[in-house]
Amino acid sequence: MAEQKYDLGFARYVRDNIDGGDKLSMCMQCGVCSGSCPIGTEMDHGPRKLFMMIRAGMKEAVLKSNTMFNCVSCYNCVVRCPRSVPVKYILHDLGRLAITEGYADRKEVENSRFADAFWWSVTKFGKTDERLVTAKYYFSGGIGEGIKKGMGNMRIALGMIKTKRMHLGMPHKTKKQKNLKAILAKATEIQDRTSGAGER
Amino acid sequence: MSDQHKIGAYLCSGCGIGEAIDMEALSTVATSEMKAAGCKVHEALCSEAGVKLIADDIASGETTKPMIAACSHRVMTDKFQFDGVNVVRANLREQVVWCHTANDEDTQMLASDQVRMGLSQTMNSNAPVAAPQQSHSETVLVVGGGFVGLTAAIEASKTGHKAILVERSDRLGGMTAHWSKVMPERPPYRDLADNPVPSLIAAVEADADITVMTDTLVTKTSGSPGMFEVELTKAGTASIETIGGIVIATGWRPYDATKLGHLGYGASPDVVTGVELEDMLGNGAVKRKSDGGAPKTVAFVLCAGSRDTAHLPYCSSVCCGASIKHAIQLVDADPDVMAYIIFDELRTPGTAEEFYRVAQEKGVIFVKGKVESVGSDLTVTYHDELLGDDIPMSGLDMVVLATGMVPNSTNVDAPTQSIDDLQEVYVKSDINPVAPFAVAGYAEGTEAPEPIVRAEEALPEGGSILNLQYRQGPHIPILADGFSDSHYICFPYETRRSGIYTAGPVRRPMDFGEAALDATGATLKVIQSIRTVSDGASVHPRVGDLSLPKFGLDICTKCKRCTVECPFGAIDENAEDFPVVNQSRCRRCGTCMGACPVRTISFDNYSVNMINEMAAAVEIPDEFDEKPRVLILACENDAYPALDMAGINRHTYSSMVRVIPVRCLGSVSLLNVSESLSKGYDGVILMGCKSGDDYQCHFVKGSGLATERMGKISETLSSMMLEPERVTTMDVSIADSAKVGKLIDDFMANIDDIGPNPFKGF
Repeated sequence: MAEQKYDLGFARYVRDNIDGGDKLSMCMQCGVCSGSCPIGTEMDHGPRKLFMMIRAGMKEAVLKSNTMFNCVSCYNCVVRCPRSVPVKYILHDLGRLAITEGYADRKEVENSRFADAFWWSVTKFGKTDERLVTAKYYFSGGIGEGIKKGMGNMRIALGMIKTKRMHLGMPHKTKKQKNLKAILAKATEIQDRTSGAGER
Repeated sequence: MSDQHKIGAYLCSGCGIGEAIDMEALSTVATSEMKAAGCKVHEALCSEAGVKLIADDIASGETTKPMIAACSHRVMTDKFQFDGVNVVRANLREQVVWCHTANDEDTQMLASDQVRMGLSQTMNSNAPVAAPQQSHSETVLVVGGGFVGLTAAIEASKTGHKAILVERSDRLGGMTAHWSKVMPERPPYRDLADNPVPSLIAAVEADADITVMTDTLVTKTSGSPGMFEVELTKAGTASIETIGGIVIATGWRPYDATKLGHLGYGASPDVVTGVELEDMLGNGAVKRKSDGGAPKTVAFVLCAGSRDTAHLPYCSSVCCGASIKHAIQLVDADPDVMAYIIFDELRTPGTAEEFYRVAQEKGVIFVKGKVESVGSDLTVTYHDELLGDDIPMSGLDMVVLATGMVPNSTNVDAPTQSIDDLQEVYVKSDINPVAPFAVAGYAEGTEAPEPIVRAEEALPEGGSILNLQYRQGPHIPILADGFSDSHYICFPYETRRSGIYTAGPVRRPMDFGEAALDATGATLKVIQSIRTVSDGASVHPRVGDLSLPKFGLDICTKCKRCTVECPFGAIDENAEDFPVVNQSRCRRCGTCMGACPVRTISFDNYSVNMINEMAAAVEIPDEFDEKPRVLILACENDAYPALDMAGINRHTYSSMVRVIPVRCLGSVSLLNVSESLSKGYDGVILMGCKSGDDYQCHFVKGSGLATERMGKISETLSSMMLEPERVTTMDVSIADSAKVGKLIDDFMANIDDIGPNPFKGF
């Protein structure tokens, strides 16, 4: 392992500033979260180890890890944690911290790019249009990458069209677009009021 | 058989005995062969009718000494109890019919031998006569005025006894007097409790039955339980008190942190011990010694010098809980405080688990790791076992070392005593080397081996707490790690000095809750001891035993082995150097009996001769019968019950063994072994408790002494032209019932290999 940097204040920062961070002290390192995680093998560190690293003050190693970005929000960890630690929320907010503090590049994080595409579809149509979300996500990394990813999944796409699982034509929309806008405006207002550190 | 005694044999055929063995043949053994005055068979001797049968015979004078062959002597004791009558029991149930083949020749022979041994025991023993103490004191002396001592004094007073509470400092309360809060002891076990000491001090001071003596030391303790003469010295003035029993509650002190330089103690003023932090909390706010600032980030280093062979090898069990408490106190006072607890293994037994959860809820961070160093800049480097890496923690404001508890087994403020200064009372190794002639199992003409000379035990550091005027020195014997020696599993408060009990952290590390139980328990043991010894009976483990060792002074060689080997310091010498037993200090183990080279020490109902006669009563088939005989001398405390339980669980083993229960392996004389072999036994097994530092012997030293003595047996055996493998000692604990049969069978296989004893038939 490369030379580690330690910052004893990191645990205190997480306790005071990260959504759910005040529950981190409840972690008893049982590892149920890491064991339950369907994506655990794709993570640099499982949640259990990540929490231990926070306690040890390994801020850089924590925020540079891919753990938070590979979380698929399945909530297995949250449901199963015997100490009621909101693992997913902590990971999510740590991901935000990693991006705002420059440890991770938003554009480099696939999960983030997918989320952007998802959010675009929901806010625009009030629904997710799989075809457009997928296309937007594929091309978010540039034209070349978009074509490559699209070609790679061509057979699946054609199969879905053939069996009428993917619709072509105009995207479906919710009926009253005005109401959707109002809902989103209200949500933004609430988010701004609670300055990002929303309730769980 | 003497005329004034009529021995009646009572054979029980109940519990399957009658179906498995021929009772009529047994009766013939009892009356024709062993010449019992009468023999009666009953189908349930423990029934009302059965007991009445025996009681009527005793009342009519038909029987003066009953021998009851039925179940083990360990059961139905209350039924077969007749005032002033020596009742002998032979075990036909657990150790015959329950573990050997029914209606088998060998089983029948075993049953007959049990009857023979029982009757021989009856002939060679008498009921002991009670010798009550002339007078005794009911006063309880409590040494140490801390939490345990205060609790003990109050408990004694509540039980109607007067108590004298002696404290060496100028105030009551001890270590914890000014502590602010203690760990919770009541449901829901989440909130800190108030320190109980101030209210205890008030209660003691208000109690008319408790005399408090501060600035006082115990300068002399002589006498024995029920009648201790204790000299208390206050400011140079001595007073004498007569005391019934003593509770030692001298408590603990923290491990000397100046020895923990590698953990930063001394290098930085902000590295403090848990006890120092406790003082700060008691005085109000916690401040850094360096700059008076309030610490915001604090690390607790657990096991500081504990479980470390270079320091304290043991776990003090309370430092984990105390550190959790400290962390909670810091966070409660200032929620901005960040507290880290670095533990190797966090020990939160019982309800302390809930307390640990409270600390987590309050944001205390627990880190599993071993602290390697603490620098003068308060950088704590630890090996994090969950990350597998060395982690430096820098930026701490304070480091708290959770140091362990050291027992105050001596008065460390007083100078260490020298053996020579105490020579007038201390026995040293002055065993008279003039060994007697051809007794004690040594073949005629062979020189008896030198008495066992042990390395002189150095007296521990510091002055004695009680300054016992005993031949075995002024101190309460200390075991490993400086704690008072006792059978910690079965008799936790007992010391190796009868009538004197230890309570609290002087006997093992403990918290307030455990210490309160300890104080109460030890006080009740003192009161029980006063009651028992005033009746002339023994304290544990032979509670109520009235027998006493008797010394045949006509052939005593004044070798002083009995004085030296008594585990309880019960024996003194008179002006002519003859041994004198202090009755109420004696626990009737018979270690002196096993020690005596001229076998002149005996009890009314237990003697070297009795064991020899019992062994000799067994019929030894000649070598062509291919029925070997092995004698088992089994300790009554663990080995004999294990054999009984083997029977209860129907574990079978060789029916060639003959078992004689002994009080303790320490009471077994070499003569018992050599005599049995000369009578034709093919082997001897001494079955007793584990010896050594983790001993299980109920009389502390007995099994160890037996092992030591049997180390000398090979010389005797070779002088008899016998193989040393014919004699063995076995550690058998009470839980070994499943394996004891296998141990016996393995030994029997060895004996078969060696072949029959050539002495058979001589």
